[in-house]
Amino acid sequence: MKAPPYHLRPNKAVDRLTLIDAIRRVARADELRRYTYYGMGGPYLEDFRLIYELFPEIKLVCIEKDPDVFKRQRFHLPCRTHRLRLEKTQLSSFLANYEARNEKGIFWLDYTKLTFAQIAEYMELLGKVGANSLIKITLRCNPPDYQEKEPSQQQTKLDAFNRKFEALLPSPLSALPIQLKNFANLIQDMLRISAQKALPSVAPLTFLPISSFFYADTTGMFTLTGIVCRKEDLAKFRRLFRTWQFANLDWKPPAEINLPNLSTKERLHLQRHLPRRKSAGKILRRSLGYLIDKTESETELQLQQYADFHRYFPYFIKAVP
Amino acid sequence: MASENANPYKTVDATPVKSFFVHMLTRDIRLEDAILDLLDNCVDGILRPKGAVQRPRGLHPYNGFWAEIKFDGTSFSIADNCGGIPWDLHKYAFRMGRDPSRPPDEPGTVGVYGIGMKRAIFKLGTECLITTKNGDDAYEVDVPAGWMQNETDWSFPAMPAKRPMKHDGTTIVVGALHPWISERFHEETEEFGARLERMIATHYAAIINKGFEVSVNKVSVKPRPIKLLFTENARKKKQTDGIKPFMFRTKTDGVEVFLAVGFTRPIPSLDEVENEQSEKRYSSEDAGWTIVCNDRVVVYCDRTELTGWGEANVPRYHTQFIAISGIVEFSGEASKLPTTTTKRDVDASSALYLQVKNKMREGMRIFTDYTNKWKTRADESKKQMVAGTPLSFEEIKVQATKLDFTASKTSVPPGGQYKPVLPVPKKLESHNRRISFVKTKEEVQTVGEHLLGEADADPSTVGEACFDAFLKEAR
Repeated sequence: MKAPPYHLRPNKAVDRLTLIDAIRRVARADELRRYTYYGMGGPYLEDFRLIYELFPEIKLVCIEKDPDVFKRQRFHLPCRTHRLRLEKTQLSSFLANYEARNEKGIFWLDYTKLTFAQIAEYMELLGKVGANSLIKITLRCNPPDYQEKEPSQQQTKLDAFNRKFEALLPSPLSALPIQLKNFANLIQDMLRISAQKALPSVAPLTFLPISSFFYADTTGMFTLTGIVCRKEDLAKFRRLFRTWQFANLDWKPPAEINLPNLSTKERLHLQRHLPRRKSAGKILRRSLGYLIDKTESETELQLQQYADFHRYFPYFIKAVP
Repeated sequence: MASENANPYKTVDATPVKSFFVHMLTRDIRLEDAILDLLDNCVDGILRPKGAVQRPRGLHPYNGFWAEIKFDGTSFSIADNCGGIPWDLHKYAFRMGRDPSRPPDEPGTVGVYGIGMKRAIFKLGTECLITTKNGDDAYEVDVPAGWMQNETDWSFPAMPAKRPMKHDGTTIVVGALHPWISERFHEETEEFGARLERMIATHYAAIINKGFEVSVNKVSVKPRPIKLLFTENARKKKQTDGIKPFMFRTKTDGVEVFLAVGFTRPIPSLDEVENEQSEKRYSSEDAGWTIVCNDRVVVYCDRTELTGWGEANVPRYHTQFIAISGIVEFSGEASKLPTTTTKRDVDASSALYLQVKNKMREGMRIFTDYTNKWKTRADESKKQMVAGTPLSFEEIKVQATKLDFTASKTSVPPGGQYKPVLPVPKKLESHNRRISFVKTKEEVQTVGEHLLGEADADPSTVGEACFDAFLKEAR
């Protein structure tokens, strides 16, 4: 099945907006004009557009190796190029030459696959960025990629996975997770070990996770955001993010983003009852007066998702040209 | 010149300085290796009370014995039920270095220098409590705060155990961790835990397979032995033994040696070698030589000159040789084994090791040669490999008893060897020609999609499809 266009993926759109939230919190600790946003942009530069519109003081650098996507990015520039620099290069080459100097970075390593090389790039980046940099990594987290009907083929896939990621696994897997949630846990554990390898205890800087999510706009994805900071600043950043709704400062299991399909009319109706600290799912279900999934509890779970993320839920409007 | 009666230069002080033991010796060993030293002591404890003739035998001689390792930012502990330290041994066990009057150890142990436990404790922290029980002896030995700064006190206070253990065994608790150790345990808990687990799973694979149980922070360690492919007797049908390891065994000066080298998996195709290098994977980890002394791994998957790679006729290690792995085992009296004081390295100058290394190279050549012959036909080679069963070192030793070993004329000391005749590719027919060329990944994907409807098709398949399409058109 063809995946929905990059800029029309509701769960990813929510994830993108949580990054915006995180940048807002970091801005309380540091001046944003000192920051540069590095991303991979995709053909439409959606994340760059958002950051430019909300934080015009942040400098922008987009890294893209594909010549045609690069041309398409030039077409979709959200602002003049003195604010947004397009770099036609591979991320690995970019990282090899990257020097933080006094600059602070906001990096989004927005991958679509799960390979050792990508995690190695993430580790390289952690070891290079300046203090107070924000790092977000997104990786494919799709259990069906590793499921085979034949037991022998399944074993081959398991062996290959264990061999490929041996250096990052807490211990070798006896089976690959079938559920998206468990696969996301596994990738988070691998990234935790990677961060500890990249910034060992003797280093003056450390990595503080601030949020982690998994979602599926058809394909399962996992995303982790964290801050590289001086150890003495850990408490300060913990305080900054402690009250954030999505904070995951202690490597707890990642949260799910799984937005329900609701009409604009339904959303506006439900939003009148929000925000709500407790029992949002139940209250919204009663307010609707009908089920949007098979059972009451499944409906409530979906509406709870809406309650959690409603402020970030994009409106995709049909327009007639 | 002063007269003999008035000699003012009578003696000079050569007593050791504590900081040498506490700070210098500990530099020679990595933290993980120091912890493995403590684990070695546990296993030596199992062997100790059984007497010289009762080295554990059978398939699971260590059944029922365990060691538990725990660490966090404030302390480190290792507890076992491996027999404890008899009070009779206290005058040797706690000294810095081995007392020459100490009775020889039982075969199978690896402790030689009398330094492992103390070095590990000093590596970790400055205070320690050792509680042990062996039969009626139940006592504890304390390394108190300030002991390491006191240059004159070379004894540790001992007393009856306040909380005697229920079983024979030893518990070592190190407190007052050095700040850098405490930080590492606290900030790298998962990374260090995974690293330690991996080292125990690989270095103690043989012992855990024989029944010993080890846990790290309450997680049980599963053994990860190296397994070599072994196909059943193929020679009856063809002029080849199929895929089997090269094996060599000998015995000299009370040390038994057994080595096996072969394939752990199918050899990689040229494309896989290229991907391996560009993907920066660590999957070479089970390639290379592993050296085992009395069941304990002292060198793991080495791919350097230390184990013969890049020496004599053996090529330097390259990703192409990712499937080749060898194990060489030395068993016998600890002091005669070719290992260093850290017990995590081989004594490269040992005469015994140098002699055995000749056979390691000889064996390795068979498999590098096979790889070179088949590297362009990895798919065909794979068919030979899939028929093989991966066997652990112990299983290979069992299989070795069923094979015809021939006397090795070139080896010193003399021994027996099994040299498999591996499959050889049929020569290319004279009218066949090989075509190879390089195109960008994107171009291969485009053609793959166009011709086969598969962007991710294997590059060689895409190339062949191209050729076939044009051949059809040309004809």
